Amino acid sequence: MRLNDALLGALLLGFAGWVWWLTTFFPAFPGQDYGPNLFPRILAAGIGFCAVMLILRGLRARGRLLTIEDWVREPARLASFLAIPGAALFYILASEPLGFIPTAFLMLAVLFLWFKAKPVVALPSAVGMTLLVHWFFAGMMRVPLPRGLMDSLL
Amino acid sequence: MDAMIQAFWLVFDPYVLAVIGVSAIFGMFVGAMPGLTATMATALLVPVTFFMPPVPALGAIVTATAMAIFAGDIPAAMLRMPGTPASAAYADESYAMTQKGQLNLNMGVNLVFSVAGGFVGVAVLIAAAPALAEVAINFSSYEYFWLACLGLTCAVFMSNADPVKGFLSLFIGLLLASVGIDPAAGFPRFTFGDIDLMSGINFVPTMIGMFAVSELMRGAVTIDAASQMVTQQVGNIFRGVGGVFRKYWFNFLRGSAIGTAIGALPGAGADIAAWISYAVSKRFSKEPEKFGTGHIEGIVDSTSANNSALGSAWIPALVFGIPGDSITAIVIGVLYMKGMNPGPTVFAENPQLIYAVFLIFILANVIMLPLGWAAIKGARQILRVPRNLLLPVILLFCMVGSFAMTNSLYGVVLMLVMGILGWFLEEHGIPVAPLILGLVLGEMLEQTFVQSMIKSDGHWIEFFLRPIAGTLGVATMLIWGVMLARGLRRAPQPAPA
Repeated sequence: MRLNDALLGALLLGFAGWVWWLTTFFPAFPGQDYGPNLFPRILAAGIGFCAVMLILRGLRARGRLLTIEDWVREPARLASFLAIPGAALFYILASEPLGFIPTAFLMLAVLFLWFKAKPVVALPSAVGMTLLVHWFFAGMMRVPLPRGLMDSLL
Repeated sequence: MDAMIQAFWLVFDPYVLAVIGVSAIFGMFVGAMPGLTATMATALLVPVTFFMPPVPALGAIVTATAMAIFAGDIPAAMLRMPGTPASAAYADESYAMTQKGQLNLNMGVNLVFSVAGGFVGVAVLIAAAPALAEVAINFSSYEYFWLACLGLTCAVFMSNADPVKGFLSLFIGLLLASVGIDPAAGFPRFTFGDIDLMSGINFVPTMIGMFAVSELMRGAVTIDAASQMVTQQVGNIFRGVGGVFRKYWFNFLRGSAIGTAIGALPGAGADIAAWISYAVSKRFSKEPEKFGTGHIEGIVDSTSANNSALGSAWIPALVFGIPGDSITAIVIGVLYMKGMNPGPTVFAENPQLIYAVFLIFILANVIMLPLGWAAIKGARQILRVPRNLLLPVILLFCMVGSFAMTNSLYGVVLMLVMGILGWFLEEHGIPVAPLILGLVLGEMLEQTFVQSMIKSDGHWIEFFLRPIAGTLGVATMLIWGVMLARGLRRAPQPAPA
């Protein structure tokens, strides 16, 4: 999925304008000419300049506004693509209430099965990897992985 | 001398050696798997090394990257899929050799010349870094400002991407670096009242997102593509390598020299070194017509170049705190986390740690020979690991690694956002490497810039008055000029449908 250069440029120009607008709220310090807003403003100007170049180029090239590759039109492949950020989102939402072990197991098992691994392989692998990662990070590395439901057991 | 003996004891400690051994195997595996890069290996290692003392932490990174850059050659030759971007320059050539039945010779040459190139890079690192540190000790904010500018400019200039998009990526990275408490006045910028953002954009989850999660998203789409099988049996890989060395010793030296030079240049690393040395090899070859048909000459140049670039990339990283490539960008972050602020003073304060890094580099290249041989022999098994199991497991590592860096879900959220952003940028031909360099160097660039502006009271000429600062400044501006001229001359190309 790709936006036309002109559209991308317009988006970025808007972004640069927004950043500049945010810097107007930064305080100035008396007697100090080069404050916290100087550097972000230079960068916003730089992004704006590149954005204008992109807009000009996009308008001259007159390409399609949005290019969509074939995989986006295939529901199964689109779902595979979305499964990766979706799994991360699931982890963010579920790991605190459920705890690391159930969340990681569910995530791995569903992804393994979705990517067409045989259940005989997928389920034991999900259990094994979850316990291995938990042992390594929570046990060896002392990372405070959320305990959730398993709090009384661990 | 004392420091050297200390370094020796630091490295030849059973724990450190075990870490090096495990990282070597990890690096070989990641490098040999198409789609998993050396940078990704490093980004995933950081959360693990976070809990180690400095020497094993750096040892793990040095060893894993050295192995990964070599191991990337294996699937390039066997499947025509480079294991890491650093092998992309000569993947077609290697595969053509395999089709001609020369897989053994190709693997032998790749392994032996990778090791030899690696030694050249390390030798230059050992010779140049301490000497440069003596010069760098006198640097002021002007020199550092121009060095950072030059490094960032080179990152854009050397990447194959369109300069407008390269600069965009760079500016976005620098802007991300300005999130959090500003270095001059201590005012929280772009935090929107969020406590986590006050500490800035943590760069490890960002790296994991940009280099690993976005790669996983791309990989998930093609996961069903029938995986190719390696058909050719690997025999004695060392037969004929001596003959190649006698015939192409000059190519080896030239490739290593180009690789070392490009690696040492801030902002450009092993993949660019391989592309350039391959092009140089073809340009000056006596038989350029053979290139692309499975000819060993260009492979000698470029496989030496990418491994030599790896060592020399540490020169600007250790001496100036300016990364030579995206791997050393991570290394700089690790150095800061370990309280070893990179810069010339580290050579005076902690020389034993610097010598330890040198020793590990030598050690990594020594063990690359037997381990590389084993990896080539076992490649059929490595390449058979099912991707549908590997992808979700890597995702889990990414999430736990990001979580470990902040000990909160903020790391995971950041990883997800950066993963989607990284995918979006790459989809539009905007390279992510300049963004990462910008994120790492942003604070230094802003600090030295504002300091210099205050010192000079806004007079630009002061930026050029010191001899080294002036030279660096003029060099940077020349590159800007070249890029601008190139950009103006380039006719607008029709957008690809």
